[in-house]
Amino acid sequence: MEYDRLLQMSLDLGCLLLSSGAEIYRVEESMNRILQAYGVKESDVFAVPNCVYVTITTPEGHCITKFRRILRRFNNLDRVDQANDLCRRLCRDTPELSVAVRQVKAITARPTYNLLTEFAGYALLSFSFTLFWGGTWLDACWGLVCGIFIKSILQLSGKLKAYDFFTNIVASAAVALVATTAVSLGWAVNYDKIIIGALMSLVPGIAITTFMRDIMAGDLMAGLQRLTEGLLVATAIAVGVGLVLMAPRLVWGV
Amino acid sequence: MEYVQCIYAFFACLGCCLYFNVRSKELFLMPLGGAVGWLAYLLVAPTGNIMFQNFMGTIALSVYSEVMARIRHKPATGYLLVALFPLVPGGGIYYTMEYCISGNTEMFLETGLQTMGIAGVLALGVLLVSSVFRIFSRAARNAG
Repeated sequence: MEYDRLLQMSLDLGCLLLSSGAEIYRVEESMNRILQAYGVKESDVFAVPNCVYVTITTPEGHCITKFRRILRRFNNLDRVDQANDLCRRLCRDTPELSVAVRQVKAITARPTYNLLTEFAGYALLSFSFTLFWGGTWLDACWGLVCGIFIKSILQLSGKLKAYDFFTNIVASAAVALVATTAVSLGWAVNYDKIIIGALMSLVPGIAITTFMRDIMAGDLMAGLQRLTEGLLVATAIAVGVGLVLMAPRLVWGV
Repeated sequence: MEYVQCIYAFFACLGCCLYFNVRSKELFLMPLGGAVGWLAYLLVAPTGNIMFQNFMGTIALSVYSEVMARIRHKPATGYLLVALFPLVPGGGIYYTMEYCISGNTEMFLETGLQTMGIAGVLALGVLLVSSVFRIFSRAARNAG
């Protein structure tokens, strides 16, 4: 049995799950199950949102530890689903390691939607949420424009490797600028509805909700990390929008 | 007609599915959870208590997510992640910020606390339902 390769494979799968937005307990449980299915008696996995540690003890009493840092996370629900499926299959059938490694690689190679569809997603989300929060149809069209702005800025910052905090400030300031300009030119009615609707794609509601789940499940480190992340994003949005809304008040005193 | 909001919620969630790389039938089923949650929120609107509305909305969408996850053999997280979107207090966060910069401390505190409360209620609802489902599925496995 090649324990090094087994460890590598389970770590790959765990990191795949974690970086695609799975919960902490799912990552830890999946890795433990795979290792046990392949005959490791003693395995310890510890995961926080940006790294995974795993140690196994081979039947000969030899310890192997591996640790991997995760730098970027994107929500990719298709991957979570596929990786979760694969994990179950591996535990049931325990195929040859080389087969398992190939299957893990196959998940990484699965297609994602093209850029145009992603833009459409942001546009649709902002459009519908502007209506949802009580904007008019005209507002919603401006919401759509803001959605496209947000995605463009996120895309650009991904290329430039800018810090998330800064990206969020710029994106929310851009949205606020577009919305207030549209309203002051008389092309839209409620700038607040447009801003709320368009920024729903950035709002850390999900982070704040998952942080509670992590804490309750006993993953305190992960929970605190997510809370900090959520608060940072919220602060960035408030700063971005606040700057734009405050500037005219300071200049013209309205 | 405020029930039309459910349709807006559906399409908003569909938009987020597109950039979460959701595939196949889930592209319809996940946004449906968002609409279900909001429908429950509106149905208990006569009580006039926002916390209670949010709580019932979350309970409804979590039950939907857990059931769907079991029918479709997918992790429930995906369903929850998408369906929670309409209930996230985006408006609350925005108005909190606005009261803050306009110097209205009293309203700032009130809205801020309420927003935090809503976030807590959402988490509580999800947690409650998923714990109950976990216990029951364990019990079913042990019995069977």
